[in-house]
Amino acid sequence: MIGIVVVSHSPRLAQAAVDLAVEMVGVNGPAIAIAAGASEGVIGTDALKVSEAIAEVSSPEGVLVMMDLGSAVMSAEMALEFSDDPDVPVRLSSAPFVEGLMAAVVRAAGGATLDDVEREARGALRAKQSHLGDEEPAGRPADSGPAAEHTIQVMLLNPHGLHARPVSMLVTAISAFEATVTVANLRTGKPPVPANSPTALLAVGARKGDTISVAAAGRQAVAALEAVSDLVCKGFGELETTNAPAPIPALPAPQPEAPPSTKAASNRPLGVSPGLAVGPIVRMQEPMGEPGPAAELSMREREAAAERIVTAATSVALAFRAKAVRVNGAAQGILEATALMAADPGLIDAAVSRVTKQGHTPERAVWAAVGEVASLFSEQGGLLAERIPDLHDVRNRIVAELLGRPAPGLPDRSEPYVLVARDLAPADTALIDPKVCRAIVTVEGGPTSHTAILARALGLPAVVAARDAMDLPEGSVVIVDGTTGEIVVDPTDEQVVRAEGQVGRVVTFDGAGATRDGHRVQLLANVASPDSVAAAIEANAEGVGLFRTEFCFLDHAEAPGLDEQVAAYRQVFAAFPGKKVTIRTLDAGADKPLAFVTAADEVNPALGIRGYRTAWQRPELLDTQLRAIATAAAAEDAVVGVMAPMIATVDESADFAARCAAHGLHNVGVMIETPAAAITASSILERVDFASLGTNDLAQYTMAADRLMGELALLNDPWQPAVLRMIREACQAGVVAGKPVGVCGEAAADPMLAAVLVGFGATSLSMSPRALGGVAKLLRGVTLNQCRDAAIAAVAAGSADVARSAAAVLLEPTRV
Amino acid sequence: MTNDTIDLDQLTGWLTRFRDLVTEKVAYLTELDSAIGDADHGSNMTRGMGAVLERIQASPVGTVDELFKGVGMTLVTSVGGASGPLYGTFFLRIGTTAGPVKALDASGLAAALRAGLDGVVARGKAEAGDKTMFDVLAPALDAFDAALIVSSDISSAARAAYSAARTGRDATEPLLARKGRASYLGERSIGHVDPGAASTSLLFQALAEILDEE
Repeated sequence: MIGIVVVSHSPRLAQAAVDLAVEMVGVNGPAIAIAAGASEGVIGTDALKVSEAIAEVSSPEGVLVMMDLGSAVMSAEMALEFSDDPDVPVRLSSAPFVEGLMAAVVRAAGGATLDDVEREARGALRAKQSHLGDEEPAGRPADSGPAAEHTIQVMLLNPHGLHARPVSMLVTAISAFEATVTVANLRTGKPPVPANSPTALLAVGARKGDTISVAAAGRQAVAALEAVSDLVCKGFGELETTNAPAPIPALPAPQPEAPPSTKAASNRPLGVSPGLAVGPIVRMQEPMGEPGPAAELSMREREAAAERIVTAATSVALAFRAKAVRVNGAAQGILEATALMAADPGLIDAAVSRVTKQGHTPERAVWAAVGEVASLFSEQGGLLAERIPDLHDVRNRIVAELLGRPAPGLPDRSEPYVLVARDLAPADTALIDPKVCRAIVTVEGGPTSHTAILARALGLPAVVAARDAMDLPEGSVVIVDGTTGEIVVDPTDEQVVRAEGQVGRVVTFDGAGATRDGHRVQLLANVASPDSVAAAIEANAEGVGLFRTEFCFLDHAEAPGLDEQVAAYRQVFAAFPGKKVTIRTLDAGADKPLAFVTAADEVNPALGIRGYRTAWQRPELLDTQLRAIATAAAAEDAVVGVMAPMIATVDESADFAARCAAHGLHNVGVMIETPAAAITASSILERVDFASLGTNDLAQYTMAADRLMGELALLNDPWQPAVLRMIREACQAGVVAGKPVGVCGEAAADPMLAAVLVGFGATSLSMSPRALGGVAKLLRGVTLNQCRDAAIAAVAAGSADVARSAAAVLLEPTRV
Repeated sequence: MTNDTIDLDQLTGWLTRFRDLVTEKVAYLTELDSAIGDADHGSNMTRGMGAVLERIQASPVGTVDELFKGVGMTLVTSVGGASGPLYGTFFLRIGTTAGPVKALDASGLAAALRAGLDGVVARGKAEAGDKTMFDVLAPALDAFDAALIVSSDISSAARAAYSAARTGRDATEPLLARKGRASYLGERSIGHVDPGAASTSLLFQALAEILDEE
């Protein structure tokens, strides 16, 4: 245990502070020495006394020196020069004297290291700051430790809740276990705090009657939770024995929101992406193993066996080719190349000769022949080595074909099915086609796994942690409920009919977005072309928050003329008389290349000439478009706003506003899709009338993660606190400037995130029409203050998981 | 009177004179400190220097470093306030820099004083204009060094240092305190001479006077 030295001008002050701190730990605390007062009872400090005090409590684990002020600090520094034992690290702490001493004593009593004790002491003002509401604006990101494996929720029974003494007992109790424990107060909904930090625990502000959520990870997680539960249920020894209320048993945490865990504590399947789906099960085949040894084939068996190899290889090659026809772009090329590999005569000949000459079974022959080629590729390295996974894929498929088994990997189906897998790799999930895959069920995984994130992004119902899923027979029909995690196997006709009825049922939107307490939020539709207007109107959208104009330009060798554009824009404007339509100027480049504005040889297209930047090279295109928009707007009654994509500077915003003004367009805005625009939003809003956040690109650029790469889905999550802070920055700029800032990215379509955006101050949310009902429904159930609390909690979270679960707790409709 | 060296007796005389000056000016120093501090600088310095002289009388020393290390340690343990570690460090560094000698020549004294100043800076982290003893110590030593360029007479250098010290002391009056307890007063610290600057000025007055007497 480390030693503690208390340096003060006043011996009485030092003694009182020490008494206060020792009350928390009793006789088991660290060695404490006081160096207070100068000679002859004078108020002051004495470096020599400090040096003696350090020697008195000296321990190989170190000595922490707490000081009051002024000469105490200098005397302590001087004392360091006097004490020169290199084996005893001595640290002077800038911590507040009383609070810091208390935190240090408690933490030291738990056996913490000098570093930990010192850090704890320095943060000791948190409880007071939190109580008085004067925390640093940036807030302290909660260090909630690794993902919790076990969670309990317990109600505090003792009269004063988690005050100093119970906190001390809790910290001491937990220090006995090999477990990382966090505590969150469900009443406040603030993110969990580490339970080995007395000051953080005090800042939790848990009172009698509050329910705290205690999460633990580590080898002794369960034992630690039992100890906590025991302390809490016994009221930390503070209950009146005569009328002790019955202890409230530890409740299992509600799933899925509460524990942001990849290993759910419960054995129950977990719904991680809402929705209902019905379909036959298709199992994702597990990786193929090497075929076992077999007897040598007789000479007369060999010819037929060799034939089978040719047939199987041809069939696999054809399957690849058929698949190649169905996709386009880079995937097509890869599949065609793989088809060639499967039909490679060299490969087939090598396998065939192993059968005819050595009597190998066809599957072993193929396995070995491919193995030879793979080792050649591997020796060559570079690009060839990168093709080895494709080669193995070909091998597995041919062997599966030979053995009469389904092909490994994602099932290749054109009819709807429910995918059942042990777990899905990011590469697998990225290939899932939501048109045929109706739902995903995995044995492994948690609420924040790739599967869950991708399923939510695709709008597919998903259930994870379904332990017995791989035992379900292939082809049997199931109903999957991605909300409750329920899987009904072989449902009755009645159940299927009812489920199918619900599948198509969309929550309708009544046409006026608002929170429960009446805070208006415009709920708008994203419209990609005149063809998608009908869906927006049918969904009762309050207008259009993002009218993409790329459709006008796609499949054109050159930009369309003025008249063609006017006609196209009028179609959309005409559908929303008296309503808002925000039209975005051409957003070409990156994943949306257009021959006449995008150079084909950009090394880094996402960071290249795209969005508004294309106007540098082809300003006349923008001018024609703005003229078309002005003409179309004048001819219709829609309330037209016009905005530019991919803005990075204030100057660009000013330029765009000036160009618009030249065409008589006066409701002008910009997209905020770059971190640059987000953090300069207040300056940008001085130049334009509104802004709209494109959260997909904002996430990609903030996280430096290509949004087209499935492997980076976890980074590209708009719940990432870094992305949330960018969004907050822009929304707050709008609030301060009194100008509307809306959101038109995917984030707005996630009901919970939509509420967080409203909490940040977003004035409108624009999304695909089918998402309107869900977002409207959630907003109707929560108050503006709940949205704000959720926003604060999410932005303060240490990770996307914690942000999501914190928001979920705060946005429960029952909370007021 | 010219002095090319300063010996143990003269150095002891310097300390004695300093003790006498702070004792004489105890009310003045305390008054300065009551305006912008905790009203103890006069009594702290008087007590500290009293203890220093008691120690010197009780156990005479044979070398300059012994003398000043004793002075430093005594101040550290007896002053109590911030001047304890600050003056304590000042004299300790003088002692270590001077070494086990019986007397110092002009450049030796200059080097020792300079080391003392460095110690004060390391301890108090003060900079020019912070309204501290540094605002006297630094210009006084600059003047001391400058005087030694034209003559190796310690007496005239000490007079130059005292002159610069007084100027430095008075210049602290309009400053805003940025160190120590006075800094808590903010704007209200303006218009008062810093007590530490004042006692440091007495230190150079003592040196100048003791050398001139001879």
